[in-house]
Amino acid sequence: MSDLKVAVIIKLEPDFSEGNVSYNADGTLNRAETKSILGPHSAIACQAAFYAKVRFGAWVGVGTMGPPIADAALAQAQAICDADMLHLYSDRSFAGADTLATAETLRAGIAKMDGKMDIVFSGHRASDGETGQTGPQTAWKLGFTFLGHVIDYDVDMDRRVVRAKRLVSLQGFYDIIEEVEAPLPVFIAIDPSYKPHFNTVSQRLAFEKYSQEARTRVANSKQYLKTFNAQELGVDPKLVGLPGSPTIVYKVEKIPKAKASRKAEVIDGSSRDELRRVAAKIHEVLGGMVIK
Amino acid sequence: MKYEHLYVVIEHDAGKPVPVSLEMLGEARRLMDGYNKKYNTDEKVVAVVLGSNARKLCDELISYGADAVIYAESPELEYTRNIVDTKVISRIAADRNLVLKFSPKSTDFAKPRYMFFAADNIGRQLSSTVMAELDSGLASDINKLVISDLKIMHQHKTKGKEETYERTLEMYRPDFSGFLWTTILCLDNRNPDIAREYYPQACSIIPGVFAPIERDQSRKGVIVDYSPSFDPRDLQVKVIGRKIVKSKVDFDSKKAVVSFGRGIKDAPEQNIRLAAELAKEIDAEVGVSLPISKKPYAVSESASSTYMIPDRVVGTSGRKVIPLLYVAAGISGAMHHLAGMKESEFVIAINPDEEAPIKGECDMFIKGRMEDVIPALLEELRALRPKVEARR
Repeated sequence: MSDLKVAVIIKLEPDFSEGNVSYNADGTLNRAETKSILGPHSAIACQAAFYAKVRFGAWVGVGTMGPPIADAALAQAQAICDADMLHLYSDRSFAGADTLATAETLRAGIAKMDGKMDIVFSGHRASDGETGQTGPQTAWKLGFTFLGHVIDYDVDMDRRVVRAKRLVSLQGFYDIIEEVEAPLPVFIAIDPSYKPHFNTVSQRLAFEKYSQEARTRVANSKQYLKTFNAQELGVDPKLVGLPGSPTIVYKVEKIPKAKASRKAEVIDGSSRDELRRVAAKIHEVLGGMVIK
Repeated sequence: MKYEHLYVVIEHDAGKPVPVSLEMLGEARRLMDGYNKKYNTDEKVVAVVLGSNARKLCDELISYGADAVIYAESPELEYTRNIVDTKVISRIAADRNLVLKFSPKSTDFAKPRYMFFAADNIGRQLSSTVMAELDSGLASDINKLVISDLKIMHQHKTKGKEETYERTLEMYRPDFSGFLWTTILCLDNRNPDIAREYYPQACSIIPGVFAPIERDQSRKGVIVDYSPSFDPRDLQVKVIGRKIVKSKVDFDSKKAVVSFGRGIKDAPEQNIRLAAELAKEIDAEVGVSLPISKKPYAVSESASSTYMIPDRVVGTSGRKVIPLLYVAAGISGAMHHLAGMKESEFVIAINPDEEAPIKGECDMFIKGRMEDVIPALLEELRALRPKVEARR
């Protein structure tokens, strides 16, 4: 029986890597041709959960809201964090949810995990929606302290306190690494720059042990998977999906091409003479020199 | 009216406003001036400030367009803590007595009509938790706003019939590609079976998009002081250290920036090296377009961790740069990106496609692929180097 219980919420996202992503001629994402995977920020959140497993023997649960095929993302997550339980919240009535309605489903799902969670992790933001709102809204609905942009964390198990380093950027001023302390339970949105460190021999041994366990578990990941529909989750239908969403997408349009603000001189890139002129111009712009 | 006024949540550093705060006020001013004229009303632009010894900021906000400033003062508010700030802001937003001090007619005020936050790494999260607490809708990363009466037909909201929603805030957000604009609406709830009221209509606003109004120190406004109360448990969240860090990426002290985008795709590793080499030759910092920060191409670990990182993104999702020289190599010029570089003194684009939007934002458009152009350009630059040095 572990003294620390952590959950990770993840998302199945378009795979933006070479060979998997497909763009339309106009530069927009071709969703039909693009494959889906565990989102890269979700993967980092799983690494943070795995750190809790290695350091504190934490119980780890992973949850996602999505279509049935999102079980593939759960298996990818399990491979990273050696999850003890995988949750898929899947129901047609969840479709069309905005971030607030999604947060309601995730809140209900996390409540169905193994007792009360001490830490819930999420990624920084999804690669497709990019709102970054679902994590903090889930935290708020859970009543957990929200810590965003966390680049490093540790748990003082005796005091039941999290110590975290957060990256705070003040636009136009500077970046700050802020150290915060917060009593459990907390919700941590992990920063993309997070990297777990395992420094001692015992930590590395634990790392090997749980990595091995993760490989075994992933081979049977279906055994760890529980799927919940709306009724099984016990959510109020008025708070999820379209009925639970204050916002709608009213329209999607191509962004009109901005009026040209400069008149470009077109240079033939295969002409050495012309490139020589560009090089001279570069020196002129940077050094105030005119070279004839 | 139950829902009135536009609240703007201000961010500041020890009383000095971050630029986006004044930009939000400027856009709020323009929108509400038009709104009040159109609907013959007198709704206010209300700045909300949390701080410790930051009251001097309130006058400045009035001179930049606020009709009223609600100022919450406490030593506990010196640094932002999400849980503490969320509760203070949510209580302020639902406090009628504060409103009556600047709008005596607002006797049945319940919540603001509209609410703005900054889309930066404090405001994005704060807007999320505040709107979860106020139980209303939020759109993130907005770069265009319109208030209008809209005829809506929606499967759920109007059960497929056409209905008019008045005074609706159209919130435009560019998607991750920078080529699509999605308009988000937060529509009030008309279903009597659902006991929720979707106000305020809220959004987070991208820094650097809107212009502040010209400062006018003769503008008049009302400052309302607010004494916040705190939940003792929330105060157990403590900021125990703060360290200012400098990014390894330094756009500010360089005269030039060389950025690359998806045009590296045919030979990513080699093209990144070429862009870096060009940057080194002219003492420039290296920037990237947003898609590059998502690491779409398999390259060496060092190229990936040095260059394909969010710190280098030029544009509304990253940094705005104003160098003497900006070189855009293999960048088509999505709106995102253009907003971050178009004030550069001189712009050179390297691109095989003359239809690319970057052409309208550059002074020299070198038609060609970067893998062909940069090596030749490097040779020409190096050939000129002794000449330039001799004249210095």
